[in-house]
Amino acid sequence: MEHEMEVDERKESVASENHLFKWSEWQLLDSILPTGGFAHAFGLEAAIQARFISEPADFKTYLIHVLENTASLLLPFVYATTVSPNMNAWKECDKILEAMMTNETSRKASISQGSALLRMSASVFVEVPLFKIMRDTLLASGTVSVHHAPLFGLVCGLLGFDSGTSQRAYMFITMRDVISAATRLNLVGPLGASVLQHEIAHVAEGLVKKWMNRPMEEACQTYPLLDTIQGCHSYLFSRLFCS
Amino acid sequence: METGFVVVEKVRGKSSVTQSFSKYPLKLIIPNKVGSNKTDAVWIYSLTYGGGIVSGDIISCGLTVGDDCTTVFTTQSSTKVYKSVGFKCSEQNLEWRLSRHARVALIGSNALLVVVPDPVTCFSTARYSQKQVFRLASNSSVVIVDWITSGRHEIGESWDFKLYKSTNHIFLEDQPLFLDSVLLEDGSITNISERMQGYQVIAMVILLGPKLKEVQIQVKEHVKRMMYEQLYTPTLGCKKRKSFGQTKPDMIASCSAFGPKGIGVVVRISKNYNRSRCIGFRDLRLTKDGAPQGHHHITDVIPE
Repeated sequence: MEHEMEVDERKESVASENHLFKWSEWQLLDSILPTGGFAHAFGLEAAIQARFISEPADFKTYLIHVLENTASLLLPFVYATTVSPNMNAWKECDKILEAMMTNETSRKASISQGSALLRMSASVFVEVPLFKIMRDTLLASGTVSVHHAPLFGLVCGLLGFDSGTSQRAYMFITMRDVISAATRLNLVGPLGASVLQHEIAHVAEGLVKKWMNRPMEEACQTYPLLDTIQGCHSYLFSRLFCS
Repeated sequence: METGFVVVEKVRGKSSVTQSFSKYPLKLIIPNKVGSNKTDAVWIYSLTYGGGIVSGDIISCGLTVGDDCTTVFTTQSSTKVYKSVGFKCSEQNLEWRLSRHARVALIGSNALLVVVPDPVTCFSTARYSQKQVFRLASNSSVVIVDWITSGRHEIGESWDFKLYKSTNHIFLEDQPLFLDSVLLEDGSITNISERMQGYQVIAMVILLGPKLKEVQIQVKEHVKRMMYEQLYTPTLGCKKRKSFGQTKPDMIASCSAFGPKGIGVVVRISKNYNRSRCIGFRDLRLTKDGAPQGHHHITDVIPE
């Protein structure tokens, strides 16, 4: 009888720890978290000005292509740092991604979002002292770039998320930010955006299943046009977004 | 087992081939008289027997360019990849070493390597993968063109192949500098043709190193000017935009710097074939002021 009660208590305490994770997870995925994601459009603005997108169906196609490219190029980095959430693994991933992000616009966007995420994590997730140490020693040093995807994986890993959650979360925030940019660029209204987001959730899940848990050596671009069009962002005469 | 290798070194002050070997399915031809005799450059042509790469062919080639040497590597014609039989994938793996000695990468070699093959064309159902690894010393310079066309356009083939993967890795003093991998595979969520949005050629041009500083500046300016004219700022209100009926530009390109202090520039280009087969052609001449290093033409965009 007593033994059964002990087991129950232990189960409850594990369950409540899991429930506590959920609050951190939701906060990390919430768009009000100040990581500067709202400033980036993933090449959407350039795609509109180059007439790649002239109607809502074009935007849906574009979004799916961006998600697939994110999955093929960046999920390996999220995965690597989630499963090995330590400085050395993270530095190595950061260095490799710096060499892989050959498009200047997306590289700068990645660094700006990564740095913002680190600053935010150091202030918010105080139960992980490493964030503060990293922020204080690395941000200004210039020895690392602080790219978004590896840092995101590291934050998830240190907060105790499993790799499936962290990779899905990365895809989710990408989808969230592209759709948010689309509403601000008048491509789709807020309600239409929500409908679309739900509509393609199964596509995003399919992409995660296909590209998750791969080593960094397999990271590749599957939508090379995105590199070209995103690289055009700096040629835009007038623009709302940074990338 | 390598199917080919070439070593270029300075012999009596001139870039010369000191070792070369090739075997089926690769053939390397190194003609003596290409370009003006005032320029000091070795030209290497890579050919495949039968004019193309057959299902299951595996080609691996190692090349070394010694200190102060200039080498141009190109092809006799476009690399055609024939249909895949039994899901076999054809591969080309090329490893380039710019160094003082053949097997050891050392400091500062002042060499220039220009890799300007014709584009790869994968026929219907083909599977092809290529990897090029460049190991540079600190002041090596390199020009790399890597491009692919959609297929036998005249018979209606457009991005009809099964798999194309192109990987380009550049290491500077053994540190990763530029790692790019493009994968076009049929059977994913969207098909290849959809992802290409009607463009028939995609190309990547890399300009890296001290010898290419001037060219980098010229190319950046040229691309910027060209794209300023192509990009259109939408007027307020969606309705107006629709009635304009504007189509995508026939060619889009963008330029990005990479590496410490932006020592490299990568240009990405996508081009359409329009009805009149109008040629978008850009010639870049590399003229080394006062130095007998090289005078090369580089075709940036496909002439059809």
